[in-house]
Amino acid sequence: MYLPDVQLHQAASLQDASTLLDDRGPDARLLAGGTDLLVDLKTGRLRVTHLVSLNRIDTLRGVTANDGGLHIGPLTTITDLGRATAVAERFAPIHDATSRMAAPQIRNRATVGGNIASAVPCADLPPILTAMNASVVLWSTRGQREVPLDSFFVGARQTVLAGGEILSGVRVPDPPPGFGAAYARFALRNGNAIAVAAVAASVTLSGKDTVRDARVVLGAVAPVPKLVESAGSALLGQSPDDDAFHRAAVAARDAAEPISDIRGSADFRRHLVQVLTHQALATACARARETL
Amino acid sequence: MAVSRDLLVNGNTYSVAIDPADTLLDVLRDKLRLTGTKKGCNVGDCGACTVLIDGQPSNSCLLLAAEMEGKSITTVEGLAKSGELSPIQKAFVHEGGIQCGFCTPGMVVTATALLEHNPRPTTDEIKDALAGNLCRCTGYAGILRAVQRCDKYSGDTTTAPDQNTAQPPDASACSQSDERAPAQSPIPNPQSPMSTVGVSIPRVDAADKVTGRAQYTADINLPNMIHGKILGSSIAHGRVKRVDVSKARALDGVLAVITGDDVPDTLYGVSPARYDEHVLAKDKVRHVGDPVAAVAAIDERTAERAIALIEVEYEELPAVFDPVTAVADGAPQLHDRYKRNINTHVEQNFGDVEKAFAESHCIREETFTGNHVYQSPLEPHAAIATWEHDGTLVLYSSTQVPHYVQYMMAHVLHIPLGKVRVIRPAVGGGFGGKAATNPLDLCAAILSRKTGRPVKMVYSREEMFHYGRGRHKQHMKMKLGLDRDGTIKAFKSEIYLDGGAYSSFGVATAYYAGSMMPTLYHIPNYRYDGYRVMTNKPACGAMRGHGVPQPRFAFECLLNMAADDLGIDPIEIRRRNAMTPKTRTVNDLDIDSCEFLATLDGVEQKSGWKQKYGKLRNQNDLSRGLQPARTQPAQTQPAQTQPARPQPAQPNIRKGIGIGSGGFVSGAGYCIYRGQVQLSHEKPPEHFQKKSIFPHANAIVKISEDGMAAILLIGAAEIGQGSDTVLSQMCAESLGIPVSRLRIRSEDSDISPLDLGAYSSRVTLMAGHAVSRAATAVVDKMRPYAAKLLNCDPAEVIAHNGKFSVAPVSNRCDNVDQCRNVDPSCPDSRDKGAANVAHDADQYRDRKGAASVPRDEGAREPQPSIVNRQSSMSATRSVAWEEVARKYFNDNGPLVGTGCYKPREGLGGDYKGATVGTSPAYSFGSSVCELSVDLDTGKVSIERFTDYHDCGTPINPMAVHGQVEGAIVMGAGETIMEDVQFDDRGQILNPNLHGYLTMTIKDAPEIFSGIVDSYEPSGPFGAKEIGEGSTLPVLGAVAHAIANATGVWIRDLPITPEKILRALREKRTDGKPIQAAGSPSHD
Repeated sequence: MYLPDVQLHQAASLQDASTLLDDRGPDARLLAGGTDLLVDLKTGRLRVTHLVSLNRIDTLRGVTANDGGLHIGPLTTITDLGRATAVAERFAPIHDATSRMAAPQIRNRATVGGNIASAVPCADLPPILTAMNASVVLWSTRGQREVPLDSFFVGARQTVLAGGEILSGVRVPDPPPGFGAAYARFALRNGNAIAVAAVAASVTLSGKDTVRDARVVLGAVAPVPKLVESAGSALLGQSPDDDAFHRAAVAARDAAEPISDIRGSADFRRHLVQVLTHQALATACARARETL
Repeated sequence: MAVSRDLLVNGNTYSVAIDPADTLLDVLRDKLRLTGTKKGCNVGDCGACTVLIDGQPSNSCLLLAAEMEGKSITTVEGLAKSGELSPIQKAFVHEGGIQCGFCTPGMVVTATALLEHNPRPTTDEIKDALAGNLCRCTGYAGILRAVQRCDKYSGDTTTAPDQNTAQPPDASACSQSDERAPAQSPIPNPQSPMSTVGVSIPRVDAADKVTGRAQYTADINLPNMIHGKILGSSIAHGRVKRVDVSKARALDGVLAVITGDDVPDTLYGVSPARYDEHVLAKDKVRHVGDPVAAVAAIDERTAERAIALIEVEYEELPAVFDPVTAVADGAPQLHDRYKRNINTHVEQNFGDVEKAFAESHCIREETFTGNHVYQSPLEPHAAIATWEHDGTLVLYSSTQVPHYVQYMMAHVLHIPLGKVRVIRPAVGGGFGGKAATNPLDLCAAILSRKTGRPVKMVYSREEMFHYGRGRHKQHMKMKLGLDRDGTIKAFKSEIYLDGGAYSSFGVATAYYAGSMMPTLYHIPNYRYDGYRVMTNKPACGAMRGHGVPQPRFAFECLLNMAADDLGIDPIEIRRRNAMTPKTRTVNDLDIDSCEFLATLDGVEQKSGWKQKYGKLRNQNDLSRGLQPARTQPAQTQPAQTQPARPQPAQPNIRKGIGIGSGGFVSGAGYCIYRGQVQLSHEKPPEHFQKKSIFPHANAIVKISEDGMAAILLIGAAEIGQGSDTVLSQMCAESLGIPVSRLRIRSEDSDISPLDLGAYSSRVTLMAGHAVSRAATAVVDKMRPYAAKLLNCDPAEVIAHNGKFSVAPVSNRCDNVDQCRNVDPSCPDSRDKGAANVAHDADQYRDRKGAASVPRDEGAREPQPSIVNRQSSMSATRSVAWEEVARKYFNDNGPLVGTGCYKPREGLGGDYKGATVGTSPAYSFGSSVCELSVDLDTGKVSIERFTDYHDCGTPINPMAVHGQVEGAIVMGAGETIMEDVQFDDRGQILNPNLHGYLTMTIKDAPEIFSGIVDSYEPSGPFGAKEIGEGSTLPVLGAVAHAIANATGVWIRDLPITPEKILRALREKRTDGKPIQAAGSPSHD
């Protein structure tokens, strides 16, 4: 199983990459970590002949924090994201995803941009980043725009990215006081396993006992990372207790649109969504309380 | 278009022409010939290709080589400096971190990176770091030990034991638990007497494997070599109407294309009465992946492209995918010769089962279903064929059975056996999946003959799944009758084995599924009806424990259920029925040594069974159904009777403990094919005779002219299980020299005499006898020369530890006939009656008997034999071994000894199929599993295993523990997660290592492995098997522990979280499911 014939274009700049991508149309793909792309090419899931590598554009690498929040370069590897001090200090829930995703070898190559832009339904970063109100910056020669992550995905492996547009950054706003988030995932194996179902949750408390805002985002159980409005609203103005979590968890379960496959039936996945939503909310609340 | 780029690999800059589509793995292996980096899956699932990129472990299969300019690349070849192993490499060698060695380079590279920035990692940190490196052999126990103890091997190298000196026996059979691991004993004093057998020396091939120097078949590149690929059927059942190869043939770089028309009409397979496979389909295809055509091209990539250009037109036929449907009237027929698709029907009836059931106090009848388990060795199957000018076929094959491959190549290609030379390079695991001649072997030979060039063929991971030969999925109905006191009165089983599309090993599998049941417990009345049925799936074959693990799982569950019914402790009920030494079973199998009871005592004590089982049982309330009993019992959970209401902050975790037992043959009593070894295709098949027509194991020991080295030649297949090492130990012991002076050549049929191979757990016993006898023959030739130098009677001479000395009279064995099992038909075994050979495997008992110590975790020290003590006492009169050897050579020329082994004649009864299950000796073992189950998600965490085994005398305790640890992790994985899944058209849904899940290091339990004191009279030095039997207790123990934790029995494998949840839900509503959960459907 070898890679099919491809041409590699090592872009020197975003402009260069965008132009190459635009010129080749659907016969071209961006290459970053390659941990999904190369597998798709080897197994024939994807057929393209032009790979536009971003890997020489060093400015796309790195994690920086400023007053507005966190900025993640799309070429930042999952490992580097997990090790970034800014993440440890102010955005710790991201660890829930980075520490449990795939295997160390994959995390050392896979990039944040790839994990998001590939739009694979079971990807681990999109749910937690969406729960944390992240947005993505999309760059093209025509200009750049910022899109909230919850509006970025339009279907399995489909996004709002237009031709020649490149995900050039991820922004996560600074969490307000009383904010906590968590990511819970279920896999059939403890190491190196794809999520069967995953739930990211965030809550913002006002005082110790009232939920001011809540977001519940499902992974691997719908074509896109699914923000469940009804789960969030079930918590609004409520005391963050088991009863409230339960109502939200049931709402999340009902909103899931899972498929049945080798990893589990749709029913099993719905059940997991309920369990994981409850877990994620409880952990998110515990973390939120710590900030008060 | 390839462009020259500079790659910095292991500190050297290579200018290499790189195509944009080349991965780093392709370049390292194919262009730089750095073949230490392995290709296991090619899609980032297994970690065998791990290299360091600027210090970070990365899958080289997922990196474009063209992007690696300017990076520092480190491969396994770059770890050892100036020929000295790095500390972590030494640790892997000495701590049992290596078996087949195929995962080793990636594992060591990953561990190197971890230790680089974290020299003293915690156990969890180690597991996190190694979670992307799959191992199928070691159960990760030795790997974890190696990383944990790496410190010991760094710094002053004089403290690190040398690879070739006897190592202190492994101080710890207990892995993964820092506090339980006793401190390693100090380095042995070279002056102290050393006995080679019973000592945990490192594997003889460990240094090669840990440096990447060991060559597996795919690592070998012959001059002018080309590459082949096979096209498999895209449909499950159909007639091949037309195969158009014109486009493939026209592709630049394609040298040959063959179809069914180009291969012999001769059928092949495993069971001689049921050869039913063609090399390439001649009329029908019977499963997805069934070989249809093959190509040879200048490189593998071109061969892959050519395959894609072959057009096949099929007339699709209805297909059938489960054995129960397949036997029904009107079901699609796979083969004309197997009516109703029944490939084999076994009917065995011993005693009066119905009468015994009528007299039973307690009867339990249950239905169980197994799973499609695939061996999934880390190394994909591979073959290289080349023809010499004299018409000799040279075949390199990744195989467990070089002789059977040799035999089958001769059979299919219509050439004499003597014109086939089989070379078995290092093999990266087999577990039964490489126990037969496969299409790669045959197609490579045919393509090589056609092109006149060496042809290499390697399966992709997906092709391995399509080739199949995994464990049969068995549908089992079982009934057990017992007395009030738990005594088994009768047992009946009816089993449908899902055979897949061809016979392969299946006839034997169907018999084994029944015959091994009465070897573990006394079963006075037994009936077995087995049906092996053809279905449109890849053929099933022999996998570790051949046919037995699933029925054993079912039986152990049934016995545990019955114990609950009767209110008897599960270990106690086993004691009451346990097999005893010197017993003829109801199906006429002769059990000699048997320490099954000791294994039960061992696990009961070591696991704390008595304190845990009753407590957990009450807590989890097995008998009265599910009650809320959490880890913190104070917290009740009213929601249990309603739809689940998860309590995430306090996961709903319950502990469980369970027991299973098992045992296996130490080698099949009869050869797979009938007649004499030189049988070829044109000779009429001989009638089956119940005797060994030729020796199953043969060895030659050749001494170098200076007497300093001994070369052991034997065809026994080292596949990772450690046979080269234990055979070297037995040979050295019998020669009376340190094992460091011994080299083994087991890889080449031109060099080494026939051995039937690594299957039926036969090598230690059978090949062990052959090597020991060959060594004894050498010593016997040297004896007169030694006697002359020592000025004593030849009968007084003993060889030990590199010396010949005069043995005190008291050490002599008076009755040689009784303690040796000389095979009169084997010329070199004759006329030894007068000899008094201190190191003969057959005489070991007398020595051991007097020096016996309980072989437990505290007793891993060299077994000091009488000879050792006395030889050191009487060391005043001795002469160097090599001196005697030189004297012999000066007078006679080459000093060579030969030895052979045949199982004793007449094994087994007189009924049909009586030969399957016969063996010179049987192993026994028991395992206790402790685990926890998350009742909210159904997730099972296997936490701890306690295992005791009766393997006779352990030749190398570290190797024994390695087999047990590996079997536990493989067996536990197959109980809870492994299953090849098919869609309704026979397509495999998970032919890869992210869909077909095997345990990672983060899933593997902590394991305690103990060996009970035992001696097998018909084994060399008292040894019997460990490799396959160690799997058998595992499945039942896991299932029991899950039942203990949850209160529900899951009767179909694998026991997935979803099945557990469904069973719990059904239980909550008194058997009425709230919603039909259904089994996982496939989309």
